[in-house]
Amino acid sequence: MSGQNYSSADDTALVKAARRGELAAFEELVFRHRDPIYARAFSMTRNEQDAIDLSQEAWIKGWQRLEQFQGDSSFTTWMTRIVINLCLDHLRRQKRHRADSIEEMDEESGGVERQMPVVTVNPTAGLERAELRKKIDGALGQLSAEHRAVLVLHEFEDMEYKEIAKTIGCSIGTVMSRLFYARRKMAALLADMRKET
Amino acid sequence: MNHEQQLKLQSFLDGELPESEAREILSWTQRDGAAAALLAELKNTRAAMTQADPHLSLPESREFFWSKIEREIQRREPVAASTPEISIYTVLRRWLLPAFAVCTIVIAGLIAHFNVPKTAVETVADADTPAVETTLANSDATTYRDASEGTTLVWFSSAADDNPVPDKTPAAIN
Repeated sequence: MSGQNYSSADDTALVKAARRGELAAFEELVFRHRDPIYARAFSMTRNEQDAIDLSQEAWIKGWQRLEQFQGDSSFTTWMTRIVINLCLDHLRRQKRHRADSIEEMDEESGGVERQMPVVTVNPTAGLERAELRKKIDGALGQLSAEHRAVLVLHEFEDMEYKEIAKTIGCSIGTVMSRLFYARRKMAALLADMRKET
Repeated sequence: MNHEQQLKLQSFLDGELPESEAREILSWTQRDGAAAALLAELKNTRAAMTQADPHLSLPESREFFWSKIEREIQRREPVAASTPEISIYTVLRRWLLPAFAVCTIVIAGLIAHFNVPKTAVETVADADTPAVETTLANSDATTYRDASEGTTLVWFSSAADDNPVPDKTPAAIN
């Protein structure tokens, strides 16, 4: 496959060429999908440099594991799973360096989400998409990494509880509790943002 | 409302409950205002989230980002290349060729050793004697050369070597 053909080839053809060792075909795949992979890494880590490094590492892992790509899902979905796993490993490493583990934090917050008043008015109603994204992004940044990870996997990746539990390595009950806390916290943060404007 | 009920409500929203349980929760939210309010809040948050997946662009140029990936791929590849799969053909070639060469040399040496004439009889006259008679072992031939006469005689032995009187037929070569 020549360089000109790479840009017109579909992902399946590019993956096949990359499996044969054609690095230029893989470069085309990186070019096509680099933004969503980076965006997912950023939504998990909330750190630009970490997101760049992790997405870069994900592409290297992708190249090394191309033989494992069965084509059951799209190439982007497959790559997204790789970057998510790398982000989770990264967050676990960070957690080990932090004094407050998620277990401690859960105990600290123990039931806070249950006491929060219900937000009766939809805080995002009538917002332009760009404005909505900005607010959600700001609120996500205020969540802990563990709560954010569950929320991102459920809402952005459409993963079921069981799948999230398997990916993160925790119980389904923990996933449900974290998701509930994250949603309630998001609602409260978005309501606060609305009041400020 | 206890925590378990709250989580049930959330599971109902996410479609994680079996149908019979889902019907129960729906019925409960229709009767209980607090449950309905919480369900509405969870629903609004979920809807906002699903519309707001950030569409970020990588803050690096394509070339710069790729160059780092490419460099790292090439740096890690030699590890795999240093342990290539060795085929049987390669093993055979590596070990059998030198072995074959050694065997050939040994056999050639043995053949040369056992083919050296054991009883070469060579009679050479004095330097001033013009006639020379030579008998070569294993050749069944005797040569007589007379330089003064310019004559060379060669006797070939016949098959009947056991005869007391060898039947030798001289052949003259001038």
